[in-house]
Amino acid sequence: MDILWSALFAVLLVGYFAFEGANIGLGMLLPVLGRTRDGRDRLVAAMAPFVLAGEVWLVAVAGVLFGVYPRAEGEVLFALYPLVVCLLVSWIVRDAGLWFRRRLDGSAWRAGWDRMICLGSWGLALSWGAALAWLAAGPSAVPAALAGAAALAAALAFHGRSFAAWLLPAGPEPAVSPAADPAADPVTAPAAGTATGAGAGAATGIGAGTVTGTVIRRGTGGGRGARALAVSACVAAAPAAALLAGAAPWLLEHTAPVDTLNVLSLMILPFAPVMVGAQVWVWRTFGPRGAADRSPSFF
Amino acid sequence: MDVLDLARAQFAVTGSLHFLFVVLTLGLAPLVAIMQTLGTLRNDPLLLRMTRFWGQIYVINYALGIVTGLVMEFQFGLSWSGLSHYAGDVFGAPLAIEALVAFFLESTFLGLWIFGWHRLPRGLHLACIWAVVLTAYASAFWIMVANSFLQNPAGAVERGGRLVVEDFGALLTNPMLTMALPHVIGAGLWAGGSVLMGASAYQLFRRTAEREFFTRSLRLGVVVATAGSLLTVGFGYAQFSPVAQFQPDKFSGAALAGVGLGFMIMIGQLLQLVLLFVLLPTIAWLPRWRWAHPLLMAITPLPFLAAMLGWLAREVGRQPWAVYGRLTVADAMSPGLTPAMITMSFAAFAGVLGLLAIVDYLLIAHVVRRGPAAATLGAAPLPSPERPAALSL
Repeated sequence: MDILWSALFAVLLVGYFAFEGANIGLGMLLPVLGRTRDGRDRLVAAMAPFVLAGEVWLVAVAGVLFGVYPRAEGEVLFALYPLVVCLLVSWIVRDAGLWFRRRLDGSAWRAGWDRMICLGSWGLALSWGAALAWLAAGPSAVPAALAGAAALAAALAFHGRSFAAWLLPAGPEPAVSPAADPAADPVTAPAAGTATGAGAGAATGIGAGTVTGTVIRRGTGGGRGARALAVSACVAAAPAAALLAGAAPWLLEHTAPVDTLNVLSLMILPFAPVMVGAQVWVWRTFGPRGAADRSPSFF
Repeated sequence: MDVLDLARAQFAVTGSLHFLFVVLTLGLAPLVAIMQTLGTLRNDPLLLRMTRFWGQIYVINYALGIVTGLVMEFQFGLSWSGLSHYAGDVFGAPLAIEALVAFFLESTFLGLWIFGWHRLPRGLHLACIWAVVLTAYASAFWIMVANSFLQNPAGAVERGGRLVVEDFGALLTNPMLTMALPHVIGAGLWAGGSVLMGASAYQLFRRTAEREFFTRSLRLGVVVATAGSLLTVGFGYAQFSPVAQFQPDKFSGAALAGVGLGFMIMIGQLLQLVLLFVLLPTIAWLPRWRWAHPLLMAITPLPFLAAMLGWLAREVGRQPWAVYGRLTVADAMSPGLTPAMITMSFAAFAGVLGLLAIVDYLLIAHVVRRGPAAATLGAAPLPSPERPAALSL
């Protein structure tokens, strides 16, 4: 039972970086990929349906951390106190940008919240990178935390770029399209690669990416964009997967008693197919064909 | 203020903000679902326009519910790791179930509902909002299970200095839960009905062109607020018995708890009297009584104020215990929490969330002011103007 729950925990954390990582990365690159207001509108509209379904993975991670590893929860979050505060504030600012940008008509209003989306996404990527490196290398390793922040930001930006290319193959601004090339960024990819660490972790990340890729391909009829997205999902999830592989024995020691796990299994596992089904439904509905839809977006 | 006071104040501020938005979510979600269901079944364009307009208010409100909720979830680990260390094996379970079974699904289905307009088949799109309602209420249930455990740690025993699950069923039938959950749900419906009343009164007062739209909305608001008030007040008084049994000093120990309770009851009783004996009997004429509309607008915030006072009474009245009779709040605080840490996080959370809460309410007011014609939620794919009602008949 403890093995099953640690596997579920791993799936949720890896899923967070594979799915929500794409939204974070696209948010980071929003001013670069969308140089005009129309371009940013198209990018945000294409990404928007994935945001609500993406950020819930971290809520689920925190829930499992509390329910399955209650003694680890306090230790980990408290050890990372300033980084967790940064992460939460960044998350809030990013979400506010998405929810608020279209609520008033003015150009300055929308441009201001677009900056908040970008700022919040960077905050998320950097605090996550620092937190993962901190957990891997220990609290005294400030250079490692900085390197981790930079590496994860690069990985997520890479993932966000392939996500944008998959969603809008013709680019956000078809007339100009300076950033429509779906090929991998040769500079960021190796940087992200060095951050992946342990091979076992990377394998888990690749597994997650393959699953992601399969879901995407089956939903949308395949294509080069989907394969590139699967690869970048692996890159985005690999650091967390590597850390998990290293931390697994420590986590297992902190597992809640079997009575608690039985309750959680009984109450949660029957809903797992619905959770998976809802996620698949989102990816099948709002893929590239949906992104080209003429509906005015709510975000 | 020392570290403990700051940590408590941070939890009180973020928790109150969260509940302010959650209570309206609980009230509006079922109303929007009912509007869409009836609109779809009867093929009634007015009801479908009501779905979009009130739905837009619901989702703008929901945004702040999410971001304040994120802070709540992580705050346990940041400020209160002593609680998860001592009681996490029991208390963590309902929170984990809430995160996975309720919120995970609620948010995913809400995304499908918001962005699935004109993309999903109508029946499936309708199913999405019902999935959202169901999971929102499941979320309220599990959060109340967790909170009631803090009020009365039923179903757990201490073993080796930590609480462990003995009988999970006892958590679900906790007497501090069974009367409080319908009380909270009633408060949500009351708040939702109140917003329908206040916003409709504003539009009717301004001699809106959408008379029928806001006449129906106002009447629905009065009925729902009255029903909510019956549920809230009934299950409010019903809580005195379990409270007297499990927390006899709840409202006499801490002054603030007693004051919160007193003002909540006063507001609730007065409003309920007005609803039952003035607004409900005159529901047929109320939409035409222009002089009454400013009064309806003025009482809109009162259910929200009462809801916050109620939470204050419930939570402050538990002091000094985090887990009643087992673990004090002082022992629940993270060991090693410094004034600098808690001041920094308090300023960040309260500042950002407070500001966003104000912006959110201004945006809701903006949506109300601009009326149904300007609703962007679920707008049609092509910019062709809507066919006039006369032609569709």
